Amino acid sequence: MMLEILVSLIILTIAAALSYRDYRISFILSLIAIVPVAASGNAVYSALIVAVAFLNDFSLLVIRENQIAGVDYAMIAIMCIATLYAFIATDLAIMLTLFVVVSVPTYLLIMISDKEMNVDVGIKYVTFMVIATVLFLIGAVLLYSASANTMVYSIAFLMLIVGLSMEVGIAPVHEWVPDVFSSADPIPVSIVASLAKFVPFIIAYKIILATATPAIGPLILIVGLIAAASMFVGNIGALTTNDPSRILAYSTVANMGYILATFAAITAGKEYIYFAIAGGILQLFVNSFGKIGYFTSIKNGGTSPITAYLLTFSFIGLPPLMGFWSKLFIIYSLVFSSYTWLAVILVLNSAISVPYYIRLARLLGTGWKFSLANAVVLFASLAMLITLMPPTWFVDVISMMKGV
Amino acid sequence: MIELLALLFLAPVFASFPIAIAWGMDPRPEWARKLPILSVLGLFVSLCVALYILFNVGELSPDAEPVKYTIYWLPDFNINFVFIFDYLSKLMGALTAVIAFLIGVYGLEYMRDDYRLGWYWFFFNLFTASMLLVVYSDNLLMLLIGWEGLGIASWALIGHWFRDDDELSYVGILNRKVAGLNMFWSPSTGGWRAISTIRVGDMPMFFALGALFALTGTLNISEIPWAGLEEKIGVAGIVILMVAFLMGPFTKSAQLPFSEWLMTAMTGPTTVSALLHSATMVAAGTYIFMRLSWYIQPWNLHLEGYEYVYILVLFLGLASSLYGALVATSSLERKVLLAASTMSSLGLMFASAAASYWVGKIAVLVAFWYLITHAFAKASLFLVAGHLIHETHDRFLGGDTEVAKKLKTAFIATVVATICLSGIPPFTAYWVKSGMDGVMHHLEHEFGMLPLALLVTISAIYSGFLGKFLSMNFFKGKKVHLHLHGGGIMSTAYLIMVSMLFVILGLYLTSHEEPFRDFFHEGLISSSLTVGLIVLVAYAIGLFKPQFESPVGKFLGDRMYMMFLNDFIVPKIGWAVAKVVEYGNRLIDFTCHQAIPQMFEVYSLGIRFIQNGKLDRYLQIVIGFVMLIVVVAVAAGWII
Amino acid sequence: MISEYTLVVSLLIPLIATFVLPALKPRVAALISTLSFLVPMVVTLALLLTLQNFEIPIATLKAPIGDFYLLADPISNAFGFTICLVSAMVALYSLPYMKHRFEEMVEVGETKDIDWEFRKYWFLYNLYAVAMLWLVYAGNLILLYIFLEISLLASFLLIYMYGYGNRQWVGILYFVWTHIAGVLALLGFLMIGFDNQTLALHSLKAVGFLPWLLIFLGMVVKLPGLGPHIWLPWAHAEAPTPVSALLSPLTVGLAGYVLLRIYLVDPSFIVEYRDVIIAYAIISSVYAGFSVFKQKDYKRLLAYSTVSQMGYVLIALCLGSYGLIGVVIQYMSHAFGKSILFMTAGAIIATFHGLRDVEKMSGMHEYVPTVANAALIGFMTLSGILTIGMFGEFYILAGLTQVYGFNLAVILAVVLVFTISGLYSFYTMKVIYYGKPAGYEKPKFSRLLDMPLYFIAFFSVAFIFPPLSTALLNGMKILFGIGGGLP
Repeated sequence: MMLEILVSLIILTIAAALSYRDYRISFILSLIAIVPVAASGNAVYSALIVAVAFLNDFSLLVIRENQIAGVDYAMIAIMCIATLYAFIATDLAIMLTLFVVVSVPTYLLIMISDKEMNVDVGIKYVTFMVIATVLFLIGAVLLYSASANTMVYSIAFLMLIVGLSMEVGIAPVHEWVPDVFSSADPIPVSIVASLAKFVPFIIAYKIILATATPAIGPLILIVGLIAAASMFVGNIGALTTNDPSRILAYSTVANMGYILATFAAITAGKEYIYFAIAGGILQLFVNSFGKIGYFTSIKNGGTSPITAYLLTFSFIGLPPLMGFWSKLFIIYSLVFSSYTWLAVILVLNSAISVPYYIRLARLLGTGWKFSLANAVVLFASLAMLITLMPPTWFVDVISMMKGV
Repeated sequence: MIELLALLFLAPVFASFPIAIAWGMDPRPEWARKLPILSVLGLFVSLCVALYILFNVGELSPDAEPVKYTIYWLPDFNINFVFIFDYLSKLMGALTAVIAFLIGVYGLEYMRDDYRLGWYWFFFNLFTASMLLVVYSDNLLMLLIGWEGLGIASWALIGHWFRDDDELSYVGILNRKVAGLNMFWSPSTGGWRAISTIRVGDMPMFFALGALFALTGTLNISEIPWAGLEEKIGVAGIVILMVAFLMGPFTKSAQLPFSEWLMTAMTGPTTVSALLHSATMVAAGTYIFMRLSWYIQPWNLHLEGYEYVYILVLFLGLASSLYGALVATSSLERKVLLAASTMSSLGLMFASAAASYWVGKIAVLVAFWYLITHAFAKASLFLVAGHLIHETHDRFLGGDTEVAKKLKTAFIATVVATICLSGIPPFTAYWVKSGMDGVMHHLEHEFGMLPLALLVTISAIYSGFLGKFLSMNFFKGKKVHLHLHGGGIMSTAYLIMVSMLFVILGLYLTSHEEPFRDFFHEGLISSSLTVGLIVLVAYAIGLFKPQFESPVGKFLGDRMYMMFLNDFIVPKIGWAVAKVVEYGNRLIDFTCHQAIPQMFEVYSLGIRFIQNGKLDRYLQIVIGFVMLIVVVAVAAGWII
Repeated sequence: MISEYTLVVSLLIPLIATFVLPALKPRVAALISTLSFLVPMVVTLALLLTLQNFEIPIATLKAPIGDFYLLADPISNAFGFTICLVSAMVALYSLPYMKHRFEEMVEVGETKDIDWEFRKYWFLYNLYAVAMLWLVYAGNLILLYIFLEISLLASFLLIYMYGYGNRQWVGILYFVWTHIAGVLALLGFLMIGFDNQTLALHSLKAVGFLPWLLIFLGMVVKLPGLGPHIWLPWAHAEAPTPVSALLSPLTVGLAGYVLLRIYLVDPSFIVEYRDVIIAYAIISSVYAGFSVFKQKDYKRLLAYSTVSQMGYVLIALCLGSYGLIGVVIQYMSHAFGKSILFMTAGAIIATFHGLRDVEKMSGMHEYVPTVANAALIGFMTLSGILTIGMFGEFYILAGLTQVYGFNLAVILAVVLVFTISGLYSFYTMKVIYYGKPAGYEKPKFSRLLDMPLYFIAFFSVAFIFPPLSTALLNGMKILFGIGGGLP
């Protein structure tokens, strides 16, 4: 796979070099750059990630007047390649590199806009990300090096979790999310909310599984509590707001809570770990497609009611949409790992979330006009339908992931 | 046989479809008003079948083996349409059919100009078919179909004039109030009171059915092992079961304290009152009790549980009868007077049939023949009353000799019916009442002279108010204005009806069969004659001095204020509960749909309050959280 | 084999129709929709009469999901028949009613294009009914759950778009409550799946306490029992009437269906906590029954009556094998009766321009006699007079004696429950249809607003007579294993 990555990087370098001439060259080369790596990985996983990345790329076309036009596509491509590579990475150093590689481009991306640079937002975001990265890295390294000592192990474990929480926006360290999401440009936010979320979680899964000791039991309980808190904060926080971006910010907090809850299932048997991780990653896909769809339609000033409701129902978790299966897998794994209370809290939260998702659909489902942004929204919402075929196939994919 | 039965039950129902459908058509066709003839034809068909059954199916004698005919229904549950043709059902069926047919004929004229003929005839015929079903069925679930049919049809017919716009259809003096309670009832109220009372009785009865089925696996009255049942469920079980079962008959037959609906059932057209209160609906209750007794044969069992039940029925019947008689004496409305008298008669039937526990089958026969005699007499009186209301446009008692002259047929029919019903020797009811005297006399051993004394008192009062009815309508009533129009069909109908009384009289006097021979013998005993004389005197008093003013009379005329139970106590309790429940609903509604969402809102605002946009605050939170986690981690590591 | 084939085809017809309907004109769509349900109605009735009991495999998934298959036994057929009958008739009825509703919405400017609204409506309506129909034939709990959610979704959208009053709030309220119910049940299903390594009904062995509890709680919310019942009056009263006429008669009762299916796998939970459950059921039924009297809104009144009737289902569930027969029959009788009644309410709303305040109604028989007569049959069905409801009550009472013997308190309570139904039925008849006419004009109205009611009424009455009752009850008897000629 190294070779493919090398090829990709060369293409990307060319792309960046040519971007000052015409952004279109850069755009197309960025898309091409992803292909070699994608072709060599797991087909299903690659296809889904590439779909997310392509949607991000296309949505960036909407703000092609931005400050770093041309380079932004390459950044997406790099993030995409890193995310694809995360599937097979098992070595700690590589994993941590991937973490950083995915994280850093967003520092820049978050500030861009087709109007003026959002430096203020950038500062907040970068501050949080830096702390998060530091905590995550220290935690990971400590886990690998000193797991014999339970005291160190627990500190390391929790540092990792707190780092992860800050990185993706899990309460109570989610403060950057509502601010950034509501004041930055919707398109870069949709990237931060989608493509950037995969690697931290996948790596965290891998690290925790690789270093698990029997002392993990009570620590898992703490993770469960944080997850529950995040669900509540996210869903309740979203209830009273009418600003779509802010609703989406809190919805992200809640969704990250759902995914963090899968860490509670890590003590269960092997096949349930697959379900847990499959649930978590599927929920990430739901969140990605959903956020891309929603944010792009915010940028576009509305979309068709049908697509808006499709996204909404997927988030609420109605079968046979993707959001149903992801929650199903999560609940499934939680129940089996004797975290029924967490499952019940999840159910409760999915009920609390109903009003604001429907409000969101109403706010955004104002009418269909053909445009690039709307096409992106349409594809994002159609992606929710890929689970018309019950996604047991996704569990199979996860079982092929290296290091879990 | 199956064709005959189909004719018997379906002919009246199907014959009423044309009018029911035509009346609902929009616009209504011209010929719709002629269609009632079809319905009456349907009634005629079932009359023919009933008479055929009476004479040709099996032997007509109290000791004959019943003939049964089964049509499969739920064979896997051993529940089938089982028709039984025994002494009781054959006679009762014929009686029902005759009376229904005659009233149907009468109704052709009486209801000619009504605004709701489709409804009327459909339910009239449904009612008849239901009654026949009740009469002929051996299976209790099948009986229940007829029973519920009676209930719903009676509701429909009592409330027939649903608009409540005709003063003639009310019961009670308009706008009169006692202690804040309306003392007048509209047809829609009458219907509601009827069905609500009946439902209260039917449901326990239905439970008894379910219980019988679960316990014995059969629902055929003639096959249920009544004797074995007491061994199975004990004395208390039998009492609960039987009382639950009898709740149905008690409410249908308007025994105390369920009597009120019967009085306000008079809001229906007179034909309906005549049909309901002579041989059908209300008699169905007593009929069922007789039929049960016929097959339980408590006189052969002597089981404690049944004894309690029969004592209850005996005294409840007598008490209701006394109550009915007293109310009737003081009643001022033609139909209400007759209704109260019906209640009184029903009480006597219950009491007499209940006495069978100690006396034997003859008591049931006495009750049954009293039912038949009463049916014809009462139906005639109702029809006469209807005719009078029709001609005078007044539902209160009234009329002087002029009425008697102008409406000779009505007058004659009234005289015959009252005399024959009151038990004046040697007219029809005298013989069967003598039989009843004998039955009550038999109870001396168990209850002393009380039943007999009550019976004599009741008979006297009964005959008194019959005399009063005659007098107040044809001699001494207030002057009324007559609007004579037609009436030919009506008077023919009730003349035929009243002449049936003579046929029965003939039977009593000439037949040498059981039970008439017994009646005849009882009638010749001097004590019976004495009672007959008392009755005669009472009748004469009623005739010559029909009215006294007295507060007691007012109390009785207001039916001892029993309506407070129906219209005040029970509804008050019900509404109180409904109110509590409503508050409960509001509370739950508020909690779930206001309080909790508001709570969420408050929390939500709290969560959003954190976002003041200042990075230093966020960092404080982050650092705080990290510190907390480190502490927790250290603690966790230490514990582990 | 032939009956398997017929069933599949007839179940597919309405499903295909769902996607065809939006392309058609409203009138044609109404007709096609009706026909698409009449075909499976006839088929299910035939299956019911011939006591069919078979399975049609669809797919086999790996553990713990297990086989997907269609399950056609007398229970499914009885429920399926009811759903088809009611859906077909309500589809006909929808045409004039929704026309009225859309015109009303045009008046207040909520929509412009009636034809477009009708397209959406027919799609959602058929989807809703079809999901319920497939639900009762689903042989796998996951499949069952999926159909449950689809029906929820379609009905939610119908309320949300075409309801009355504060319809968006009501829609969300409905969604949240039933979503909780659905997901709780889902949790229970999953746990069953783990324990048995399959979710196919035919291979389930046991249902543990916790999954039973979760499913029970979920279904009590959906059924609903006292407490959670509070969502129902809102949803059923504010939904457009054809939707109420599916929601109340069909959907909520499906909770009873789910409980029945689980019970047939493993009755342990109900048997163990029978006393508590029956007490709760009785209290909620009586409670809701009393609530009916105080309602001022015709549809709300009917909604409370639904709560009371669903109490019967819960009561019946506790009463042994006779009780199970009671569950099925009660579902059917309530569906027949309540669909008729909601349609009468709708007929009045459509003819008198949104009239639903009971206090403004009086002597309505004068103006809409056919509707009044239909309402009478509806109420007769609810109170078990001369209609299929009679059997429901009978088997509940027989079961009562079988299980509780002569326990006076339980007897009185159940008798009270039944009595109250009769009382509020006829009280409502009196208040709305009887008495002095309220002084409206005698209206002209579409025959489609009353004829479908009589079609349902026919079956309601026909089901007490052979051959329908014979076959239905015989099927139940075989299924519930009530042995021998005598119990």
